[in-house]
Amino acid sequence: MPEAFGFLLQGFAVALTWQNLLWCLLGCTLGTAVGVLPGVGPALTIALLLPATAKLDATGALIMFAGIYYGAMFGGSTTSILLNTPGESASIVTAIEGNRMARRGRAGPALATAAIGSFVAGTIATLLLSLVAPPMVEFALRFGPAEYFALMVLAFTTVSGVLGASMLRGYASLFLGLAVGLVGIDAISAQQRYTLGIPELLDGIDVVVVAVGLFAVGETLYLAAYYSRAEEKLERLGGSIWMSRADWARSWKPWLRGTAFGFPFGSIPAGGAEIPTFLSYATEKKLSKHPEEFGQGAIEGVAGPEAANNASSTGSLVPLLTLGLPTSATAAMILAAFQQFGLQPGPNLFASSPDLVWGLIASLYIGNVMLLVLNLPLVGLWVRLLAIPRPLLYAGILVFATLGAYGLRQSWFDLMLLWLIGLGGFLMRRYDFPVAPVIVGMILGPLAENQFRRALAISQGDPTVFLSHPISAVLMALSVAVLIGPWLWRRVRKETPLT
Amino acid sequence: MAGRDSEGGARGGEVLLSACVLALGIAFAAGAWLLPDAPGYARIGPRHFPALVAAGLVITGVLLLVEALSTGYRHLPEEARGRYNWPAFLWVAGGLVAHMVLIAGLGFVLAATLLFVCVARGFGSRRLLRDPLIGLALNAVVYLLFTRVLTLSLPWGAWLPALAATPGAGS
Repeated sequence: MPEAFGFLLQGFAVALTWQNLLWCLLGCTLGTAVGVLPGVGPALTIALLLPATAKLDATGALIMFAGIYYGAMFGGSTTSILLNTPGESASIVTAIEGNRMARRGRAGPALATAAIGSFVAGTIATLLLSLVAPPMVEFALRFGPAEYFALMVLAFTTVSGVLGASMLRGYASLFLGLAVGLVGIDAISAQQRYTLGIPELLDGIDVVVVAVGLFAVGETLYLAAYYSRAEEKLERLGGSIWMSRADWARSWKPWLRGTAFGFPFGSIPAGGAEIPTFLSYATEKKLSKHPEEFGQGAIEGVAGPEAANNASSTGSLVPLLTLGLPTSATAAMILAAFQQFGLQPGPNLFASSPDLVWGLIASLYIGNVMLLVLNLPLVGLWVRLLAIPRPLLYAGILVFATLGAYGLRQSWFDLMLLWLIGLGGFLMRRYDFPVAPVIVGMILGPLAENQFRRALAISQGDPTVFLSHPISAVLMALSVAVLIGPWLWRRVRKETPLT
Repeated sequence: MAGRDSEGGARGGEVLLSACVLALGIAFAAGAWLLPDAPGYARIGPRHFPALVAAGLVITGVLLLVEALSTGYRHLPEEARGRYNWPAFLWVAGGLVAHMVLIAGLGFVLAATLLFVCVARGFGSRRLLRDPLIGLALNAVVYLLFTRVLTLSLPWGAWLPALAATPGAGS
């Protein structure tokens, strides 16, 4: 434990240099902005910034991306509360009570309890991350290729099967992502695969084009087709933004309980923040002394889920940093950012670049403080972003989307690919296929294949290797459980409907 | 809200989409079959993992097809069955195609401004002066930022008078 403390201090030395503080501030500001803006999410933002950051210092760039990642969680709650349109998917639950509070003229306290709750949860979760990471790394050092492959299978099943309305469509998305990841020259045998003889495809399909195509082009096409005439009602930010004594008294326990739900769910690869935010909401509803207020704007219903959401997003950095496992689309984009600098997150990275990893973790503490300042006193500034007319907002998003794809190598081929993937994204959105499994499958797929082939090479082609190693066997069994588990979850959900 | 006819159309789309997943799976399986097997090294070559992925696509494709043909996709959000705005979709999709075709010749600033105006039009804006001006200003700033600060190259447009000493502002 003292050893971890030493590493963390060393990390603070890295994170507190003025360059890295600036990267952190830039990331947190950008993250809040994209969290607030409907139609732009953290995954899309990181995808657009990837090419532009290729030549930067890796530590600074990753600190910025981490800031975008959790800054978007803070900003997302603002949109949920004031617009009743979740700025990003994990704040769906926040919108229920938060928007009701805003309609009753209590937008200020709702925003405050969300921001302070996010800060409390984020800080506690970062502390837990600092404590959990060293033993996790120690444990993961014993993993061989079979264990890693089994872990990745588990991540695939949770990302595809747990979230979304239909497991089947989730798995279809996953396999589409894996298929996209196969295109290009095989790294081991130098064999061309699925390139159709097109030279532009030899390097594979760039993850930037896929992420931007799905998140920006597909989403904008969908919104144009179905929502371009929709009216949105922005609640006024009236009254004090400060919480009364009663608000504090009703908020602090939900914050802590939300954190307790969020962190474990984030850190086991259990697929994102939807489950812990919902569990937190249901718990607060059950425990509240004012259950009649739920549905009318109960502050506990904002405080708990918002804390759970933030704790879970910080928690999901545990598998990402210690095992190299992304459990959400944004985490997968951060993994792609690591890869851009020739780094592979995992136990070995803790050994080879402790400055980078611990600097990144230390920056989370700093970023949480920055975000509290950015979001509470300055909330009025962010609200103005919501006043941007929708036609101009989406026009701007597509200008940056095409720029991101074209900027890769100044080729119209990438723009055509972007367009085709965008059409695919439109269809996926229309028929409710989740997008996250595509991104995770595409980025994690090549790594999984690598471990798969190494494991089979060591076992001389014997496929039972994945079941004969105990850790791998347990992980495979868990994957099977995940295949069946959602039915149980759906039963729980039916008994306590959300609205 | 959603009429029967629009639901019928959605079902057709579901069947078609499921068939596409299945067809893609078959194509990937055929592609894996055609890949050469790696010699030696326990014969774990470049075709085994693609074969697994292809199998996954085929299985999910078949199951989706069965679902689409029997009950229709389950748990679809109600809004997806609502009425869609075909012209708005075409403005956005068409703007993207125009941008793709024109960017090399027209240059980044003008092509992106055209895209900007088309997308804004798709989202219902009819401000024929405001939209192009905002788009032009935005894209000029982006162009300068990319070529001067980030030193990435973007096409300026061969037919436009050259900017003085613009690094990266090639033909």
